[in-house]
Amino acid sequence: MPLQLYYFLGLTAIFILMSWTIYLPYRVRQLYFLPVACMSASAYFGAIATQQWGWPFALVLIAGIAVGALFAFVPALLIGGSPLFAVVIVSLTFIFIVKTVIENVGVLGRTTGIFGIPPVEHLLLITYILLIIVGFFIYRFEHSSLGRAAAVVFVDKDVAATLGINIKGLGMLLQTVAGAIGGMTGVIYAFLMGSLFPDFFAFAMVGTLITMFFVGGYTNMWGVIVSAPALWGIPLLLPSVVHPWRQVIYAVLLVVIVLVRPEGLITRRTVRNVANKGRAWLSRLTGIRK
Amino acid sequence: MNLFLAQLISGLALGSIYVLLATGFNLMLLVARIIQFAYPHFVVLSMYVCWYVLRVTNDNIVLAILAAILFAVFLNIVTQPIFRHLMRRREEETDINITFIVALGMSMIVTDVMSHELNEGFAIAFPEAWAGREAFIRFGLVTISMGEIFTLVVGIIAVIGFFYLLYRMKLGRSFRAIAEEPYVARLVGIPVTRMGIYSYAIAGLLGGIIAVLLSLLLGSASAGLGEMVALKVLAVAIVAGLGNLLGGLVCGLFLGIAEAMVMGYFPGSWSNAIAFVLMLVIVLAKPHGLFGTRV
Repeated sequence: MPLQLYYFLGLTAIFILMSWTIYLPYRVRQLYFLPVACMSASAYFGAIATQQWGWPFALVLIAGIAVGALFAFVPALLIGGSPLFAVVIVSLTFIFIVKTVIENVGVLGRTTGIFGIPPVEHLLLITYILLIIVGFFIYRFEHSSLGRAAAVVFVDKDVAATLGINIKGLGMLLQTVAGAIGGMTGVIYAFLMGSLFPDFFAFAMVGTLITMFFVGGYTNMWGVIVSAPALWGIPLLLPSVVHPWRQVIYAVLLVVIVLVRPEGLITRRTVRNVANKGRAWLSRLTGIRK
Repeated sequence: MNLFLAQLISGLALGSIYVLLATGFNLMLLVARIIQFAYPHFVVLSMYVCWYVLRVTNDNIVLAILAAILFAVFLNIVTQPIFRHLMRRREEETDINITFIVALGMSMIVTDVMSHELNEGFAIAFPEAWAGREAFIRFGLVTISMGEIFTLVVGIIAVIGFFYLLYRMKLGRSFRAIAEEPYVARLVGIPVTRMGIYSYAIAGLLGGIIAVLLSLLLGSASAGLGEMVALKVLAVAIVAGLGNLLGGLVCGLFLGIAEAMVMGYFPGSWSNAIAFVLMLVIVLAKPHGLFGTRV
């Protein structure tokens, strides 16, 4: 496989996973960026565990998930049910603090980063299997009573409280799961790239994820599957002189989409229509009518 | 003791800038109902304009100050139709969140333009004469610069002026009425839309003043400064309670002093992180702010 395609597919999967970490807490109307900090913490942990302690990939992956979950769980105890902007500031602050720690601690490579993380065989395949598993769990969550409870919290917190929904508990659960996914993604990223730089896990990353999430559509999990490869791929197809302006392209797209199509490109109605057409096509193909 | 005093004055100067930033931010939140996260980025971009005018006019200070202020007002007013379009489509109060997303997009654009296009992406340094780095007061080895004193004095005057406008003038009463109850304000004949535009202009004016003061105090600017300041302003606004102007005053000063003290007594690279940890602890303990939210 060409190297460029390999990295494109790998990073696309990483951005889909990370966009889902924004999507999950947004189900209870919380704009939560802490998975970026979980990602960097797990990525650095994974790099050190492999290089210095000789841990195998599978163990690093499990430990990375645990690190991410723990990293998200502790603040979630306090901000599980907090208003949107308190969650925003806590998560952005955490990203900044983690970045400062990485830049100042020698064993983490400071600003020069960590190099020489050994490659893992069939990493792309493993990544996409994990992506499908995570996607399946999010899909099941959406169609469960918990998912419906989250939908009520999204529409009206007061109604949700009246219905007896544990808003804080739900927020904590979603934040912790998002942190765990962030941790897993961090380990995959470390092994995919083979090197880590603190600048990657910064504000620009949050901007990219927000763009993918809101351009794709914040009302369903499928939007990012369309927007992540498109947004990651389009700048690669453009002339090289445009490449440094990737963030500006994202930002302009974000502003335009929010103004013109506030629910994003893939809305719930789009998903319903596609599902109906798929069912009709299937029934035509098999001759079985419902 | 000398170091403590010097850091206290430095902290008050920095704090007065945070107060002005939080005030401009809160004004737009209360009157125009937007979370203008890009406001500090606009301030930093105005610093770049100030620096550029100084360069091309052979350090003409008056022109540089005017350019920074006018540019900040212009930038703020230019974004107004975008937010108005957004608010017209969405009446519910919760949709104030979406204004944050749009502002985040704007901040990404401003940061990237600064990091690629302006001064070839390098940080800018203001001339020695402008930055006022020469010692004004000296206690042994500790000095307080002219820039710090000037920032402190102008900052205090600007804060007093703004609060006078808000609590003693008709325009300020209209702002407060809209902040309390926009529908009733409209019923009693206050032109809510026009007041919204005024709030952008006044926040822009404050932004221009802040750009000048920040350039005096720091003597330099870079593309990343906007993000750093934006994070602090949002933290101050949340710790104070969103939309709480008096709370912003207290918390802005507190953050400025805390940051200066940390800078004085801890290694430089950790100072911002320690200031953030402090804010983080408060937000975690009181997610609705210390003084109660007004939005």
